[in-house]
Amino acid sequence: VTPEVVFTPVRRLAELVRAREVSPVALAETFLGRLETLGPRLNAVVTVTRERALDAARRAEREIAAGRYRGPLHGIPYGAKDLLATAGGIATTWGAAPCRDQSFDADATVIRRLDEAGSVLVAKLAMVELAGGMGYRQPDAAFTGPGVNPWDPAHWSGGSSSGAGSAVAAGLVPFAIGSETWGSILSPAAYCGVAGLRPTFGRVSRHGAMVLSWTLDKLGPLALTADDCGLVLEAIAGPDPDDPTTAREAFRHDAADASARRFRFGVVTQALAACDDGVRETLLRAVGVLRQLGTVEDVTLPDLPYEATARVILGAEAASAFEDLVESGRIVELTAPEDRYTPYARDAILAKDYVRALRLRGLVAREVNRVFSTVDLLVAPSRPTVAPRLGQEFRSALRGTANDVAGALGNLAGLPAIGVPSGFDAAGLPTSVQLLGAAFAEETVLAAARGYQALTDWHLEHPRLG
Amino acid sequence: VQPERPPTDPEVERRWALVRDRYGDRLTAEELAQLRQVVEGLVGAVQEVRRVPLTNADAPLDGFAPLRRTS
Repeated sequence: VTPEVVFTPVRRLAELVRAREVSPVALAETFLGRLETLGPRLNAVVTVTRERALDAARRAEREIAAGRYRGPLHGIPYGAKDLLATAGGIATTWGAAPCRDQSFDADATVIRRLDEAGSVLVAKLAMVELAGGMGYRQPDAAFTGPGVNPWDPAHWSGGSSSGAGSAVAAGLVPFAIGSETWGSILSPAAYCGVAGLRPTFGRVSRHGAMVLSWTLDKLGPLALTADDCGLVLEAIAGPDPDDPTTAREAFRHDAADASARRFRFGVVTQALAACDDGVRETLLRAVGVLRQLGTVEDVTLPDLPYEATARVILGAEAASAFEDLVESGRIVELTAPEDRYTPYARDAILAKDYVRALRLRGLVAREVNRVFSTVDLLVAPSRPTVAPRLGQEFRSALRGTANDVAGALGNLAGLPAIGVPSGFDAAGLPTSVQLLGAAFAEETVLAAARGYQALTDWHLEHPRLG
Repeated sequence: VQPERPPTDPEVERRWALVRDRYGDRLTAEELAQLRQVVEGLVGAVQEVRRVPLTNADAPLDGFAPLRRTS
């Protein structure tokens, strides 16, 4: 294996594997080695699945040699956020000390589908405990330690898919699977300078994934490019009888040259107003690039309590999802001190509050749909700030200390969004632009993001880990 | 960002009493003070949600569907 396989997009790795210029076993060994040596520095890994990985890599090698090539993920290593169930005695810890010995008898549907595509699971990746649903206020909120940002170890990798973001950015895996309830894919993708795709609610089965919120949880890929996110989404999307929320239609990633396509972009004025100066500066530059791909207009979203509605729904559902853990008092074993008491507050949400928030959610979805009659994609910063420093409290829309209109409405309405790198602030930390589409319009989201990445080279920058 | 509320908001007091009575004996004074702030924030969110008028016809947007018989 030549060193160039690290930081090489899945699309190119697939060509090398298919042409038998790179062996899946050697590829797995390369990334296993990086996970074992660099993973601990970033607190990015819970379990390196060496034995399972090498079994899968050898199988891929045999199949490809025999002419049974399965597709672009065949023989490609990946990491999974440690809330996805894995069989074979591999722990699934949900990032939480009380669950660190937990294991399951069967793989999550997403893991099974990636197996079927020939991908090679090399690691269970670190995450904020219980996907951040307990109300954490600072990065040290996982038994594996705070996620460290590969661009600057004094800063956070983001969360709750912390390891997914940092492992892709640091070249420890070619792609990863993360989850988002509200911000957990786009945040680490933004802070770590990689692409992160949050699919439409129902696009990807959650069967076998830890539940934080039944009506908000989504699974999606983080990778070096938007194109890679599309390749992975095609493998994991589709109906699943084990998850009745999944949509019937399959997803096909269209990798055709998108440069001739024209898009109507709408820049969310509320999101632009709420971000830090460094983020705003790179976002405006990104908007300048998007003008080469279509029309750009400002869009002011209807004045609705997006963040408050999402807080009520997430709080009520999380209270039920973790009722046993909270009532038992075992939350005292969690890492973040604030996670040991914050969940108790959710008893203050009444049933009628939750139902009212669900009713308001319908209004939000209809209003946002109206916006999509005049634009194809909404544009906003993926995060309003760059990566916060470790050891410091950060602002959060989930706690009501920050604004995140695009994130709140996108998750409330179950809409797909991608975050792709848009530059760096003055301190050298990555920024990211978010493209948010209508329900099941992943193809449009990905095409625009691919178009943007064809005109920029931010995704070609990688951290130096020494 | 939550708007400031007077410290004696009766809605906060009622709901804080519910939480404190149930879990207060598990927590230190400092944790209780922090928890009260969280309750205040949640009540603020609930009040924001309530401010939007809804009609009787505004149904919850949820995914419930009866399960079909499989055999």
